[in-house]
Amino acid sequence: MSLLAAHRVARRFGARIALHPTDLVLEPEEVVALVGPNGAGKSTLLSILAGALEPTEGVVERPPRVGWVPQRSAHYGRLTALENLRLFASLEGVPSSRADALAEEFELPGNARARELSVGNRQRLDVALALLGSPQVLLLDEPTASLDPVQRERVWRIARDLAAAGGAVLVATHHWEELEGRADRTLALVEGRLA
Amino acid sequence: MRAVLLLLGKDVRSLMRTPVLLAVLVAYPLVIAALLGLVAGYANSKPRVAFVDEDGLPAHIVVGTHRFDVNATIDEVARNVRLVRLGADEAQRQLADGKVVAVVTVPPGFVATLQAMTKSPTLELSVTRGGTSGRVRQQVQALVYALNQKLQRAYIDANLQYVQLILHGGNGRFLGQSFDVLGLDGTERQLSALPQDERVKRIEAFVRTARRALKETGAALHATASPIQLQELPRRGRIASLSAQVESYALGLTITFLALVLAAGALAAERDENVLARLARGPVHPSGIVGAKVALAAIVATVLGFAVALAFAVAILAGHAPGGEPWQRLPLLAAGLALAGASLGALGALVGALAREGRTASLVAVLLVLPIVFLGLIPPEIFAAAGWASDALPFAHGVRLFSATLYDLHPWGAVARESAWLAGLGAVFAVAARAAVRPFDP
Repeated sequence: MSLLAAHRVARRFGARIALHPTDLVLEPEEVVALVGPNGAGKSTLLSILAGALEPTEGVVERPPRVGWVPQRSAHYGRLTALENLRLFASLEGVPSSRADALAEEFELPGNARARELSVGNRQRLDVALALLGSPQVLLLDEPTASLDPVQRERVWRIARDLAAAGGAVLVATHHWEELEGRADRTLALVEGRLA
Repeated sequence: MRAVLLLLGKDVRSLMRTPVLLAVLVAYPLVIAALLGLVAGYANSKPRVAFVDEDGLPAHIVVGTHRFDVNATIDEVARNVRLVRLGADEAQRQLADGKVVAVVTVPPGFVATLQAMTKSPTLELSVTRGGTSGRVRQQVQALVYALNQKLQRAYIDANLQYVQLILHGGNGRFLGQSFDVLGLDGTERQLSALPQDERVKRIEAFVRTARRALKETGAALHATASPIQLQELPRRGRIASLSAQVESYALGLTITFLALVLAAGALAAERDENVLARLARGPVHPSGIVGAKVALAAIVATVLGFAVALAFAVAILAGHAPGGEPWQRLPLLAAGLALAGASLGALGALVGALAREGRTASLVAVLLVLPIVFLGLIPPEIFAAAGWASDALPFAHGVRLFSATLYDLHPWGAVARESAWLAGLGAVFAVAARAAVRPFDP
């Protein structure tokens, strides 16, 4: 039984078609790579799958807990990393101990405000935020773009661990070379259509 | 509700971590309020009026028995204008340039006509065209009125001298000619020396009646000259700078700026930080996001508005200025500030939702503040459309609510009416803001 299924989801922005009707299924214990050039519609598809964007047509069946790392940082710059984690933990009804544990696991600086962190640290914070609710499905939109090799490897390990625990991971990237041996399946998206 | 409170706490914390923004948000409306006060003060300042003397006014003029120092008299009666002595050509040039708002000309022969006391001499007035002409005309009319008051006393005294001459007899002068008058006293004496018969008795009765009547002439002349007199009573109440109107407008302006800019900026910041989409996925419904911004605006408006009201109350107390109930009504004012802040915050949230980014939202909010305030300042009877537009915005309702709250003896009718307006407008703006919130931008 699939963990997440999109049926004929499509999205228009005015006259522009960002995503043509698309079917996509994520099975348990799999890591799926979504590749495509810039502007192919990867972020639009992931936003729809995450529930951040309503599709113009089609439906998405998703489990209750879906983690999402958007392409652009999505946290409060005037709060510290830990304050961000605790705030979103409270909003999602997750114990604050989970926030503290993730801050420690991702080695996030405690006192500095998020806007003062390096791009890599901010990206790690976004991944930590996505993991707050112990998601069954993790959607990662260019998660490693600003990370050093060690942190990049950490993100892939997290993806593999989540899949090994019965979850599913969809990783969007335009770095084909990074995928070697890491994804169970690879999907290509070109001009809003799955190839 | 819990999510709204969590977001609100985050917004307050973020605001406290931006002391420069906080200082500007507090200082800016106060500076604007002070500038508005200066503008209002300028509106009441003395207009510059040219004074052209084509008659060659002497240093002193004698009217009847009164001797007038011309310069001192003009200075005394021209308290509400700044008179500038100019030649006729220069005065007309400055009037055309707008450097003076009016020209008062003393034409040739003015003094001679004045001293003859047989007809009224004329002053000539030219007024600039435009919005201030009515006010200038009124002030020059007041100047002439004050001058007439001084002259009428001289005229009455001169006329009374003639009455005294008729009563008691003696030497007099009129129109440059001297004459002797027997007077009623002398007439009575002459009559008493005549053989008393019916005709003499009738003339004596007329003389007595005429004397009694003429004795009342002074009072009658004064009453005729000034049928109604205006007596200025000792002043009570608050000075102009602490008036109820000034306080209400200062509160309105302060919270309009704060609530509008804060709510617009805070909502747009959620999008700038790309958090709207994360929130809208589940933790907080877009209505809750708008609600948090409305609550932020209401809280900040209440706190800072309350501080302004406290400052006014202390100043009123320190100045021993009676009027209003600055202390007892503060709790009611706090509720009014919260409601007006929420209503304005909803409008700010709408601006923040419509703007694509934080900078645009803040700029639009700042640009909106002054038109909203000025629309509220225009009396509807002057421009009806401004009144309708103002009714559709929270500022004027807030000002009326604050004024009623602080100073009306029976405020509840106005409080209920303006509160209903603010709540209704706030609801409309909040619903529009909710509809305009787009969590995700491609």
